[in-house]
Amino acid sequence: MYTRQNQKNMTSAQRAKFVRAVLKLKSKGIYDDFVRIHGQYYVSDGDTGLRVGHMTPSFFPWHRRLILEFERKLQSVDSSVTLPYWDWTRDNAKTSSIWASDFLGGDGRRSDGQVMTGPFAYVNGNWPITVAVTDEKYLTRQFGRPDRPIGLPTKADLDKAIAESVYDTSPWNSTATTKGFRNRIEGWTVSETQGGLLHNRVHQWVGGHMTGATSPNDPVFWLHHAFIDLIWLRWQRKYPKSGYLPARPLAASDPQHGRVVSLNEPMPPWNTKPSEVMNLQNIYRYEEN
Amino acid sequence: MSEAKENGGGKASPSAHTRRRVLRAAFTAAVAVTGTTAVLHPIITAGESDAGKTGSGRSDAGSDRAGSAPAAAAGAFDEVYRGRRIQGVPTGTADAATTEGSPVVILIDGRQLHVMRRADGTYLSVANHYQPYATPLDTARGAVDVIGGAKLSLAGGAYHH
Repeated sequence: MYTRQNQKNMTSAQRAKFVRAVLKLKSKGIYDDFVRIHGQYYVSDGDTGLRVGHMTPSFFPWHRRLILEFERKLQSVDSSVTLPYWDWTRDNAKTSSIWASDFLGGDGRRSDGQVMTGPFAYVNGNWPITVAVTDEKYLTRQFGRPDRPIGLPTKADLDKAIAESVYDTSPWNSTATTKGFRNRIEGWTVSETQGGLLHNRVHQWVGGHMTGATSPNDPVFWLHHAFIDLIWLRWQRKYPKSGYLPARPLAASDPQHGRVVSLNEPMPPWNTKPSEVMNLQNIYRYEEN
Repeated sequence: MSEAKENGGGKASPSAHTRRRVLRAAFTAAVAVTGTTAVLHPIITAGESDAGKTGSGRSDAGSDRAGSAPAAAAGAFDEVYRGRRIQGVPTGTADAATTEGSPVVILIDGRQLHVMRRADGTYLSVANHYQPYATPLDTARGAVDVIGGAKLSLAGGAYHH
């Protein structure tokens, strides 16, 4: 059993160890495998086929499993490293310590979005982008979407979503008719001018690579999803009787049959069932402060 | 729109050039059948100026498609947005297998922007996986907002499902 810390409480030695382990995975080519996996399993709900990662009930368990796998790889490099989380409701400034040059580095520059500070700046030599939708080799960010400014989600936004006691509902996708905690947190249900909500909005606020199909190119992806995982855990504690839905495989007559994963069906690429990651408190806990 | 031809000229790949010629033919057909609408007007202007620049640009493929072109061209566009040439080439005049249900193939400076559809009919592109757009044109502009001056990767389609 180990502890995942709020990143703001990490010592400089812990920050350095985390960064070193991430850079090591990058140099071994392991990091980019995670970038590929995340993109490969991003299936939209207007397309056919099984959705495990997004616009689907297994959004939470799939990402829980993904970040656990990443954490195991970090620990294969340095057994004392754990995933930190970023509470974006509190550390919501462009100058928060998460963006310091000894940790994740800062905003992209105005001209081309290139991150110029910190260990993940291309100019520092250890973070070439190789799996991407554009040809540029440098990590990009655009904090706050400057052309149409948005802020990070607030604690009030988050509390409202956590208050939703039902996990997910038919039609089990991203449309506004899908009520429930999962779709609210994922954040699809607003117009494009306002930006998304919660999970989606954080991707948009960071900007650059975090906005696209290869979002894990930005290491903040892992700290964001560790917090998303903690949010799920908080919801599980708040509603211990509200389990994962759908609990059983959908009937063959359901339009979403074969397209979403129920409680005891396997999620690729690990063939892990949501039921197997419902409670991982014997593996890790979150330091909540 | 005069900057459209300048921007689209030098950078595009040979295959993009072919698509552009096909696109011009489709626009011509659209003019003949539907007349000029507010939406189509700037597109047609760009297409004509481009055609004038290169002379005989009509392709056989375009002529073959003329009958069905007006409907397909409804979602088509060709403009310069923040310094990038963005085009929506009607499906059926380009590689329909890679359009994922979109009425157009979106090109940015001649390179394909891969898109997906949401269940409510909106669009996501590989440049913006967390924000949907109502139309292919909005999707193309939104992608440029994110990628700025960066060139789309030829492998872009591999990075979502």
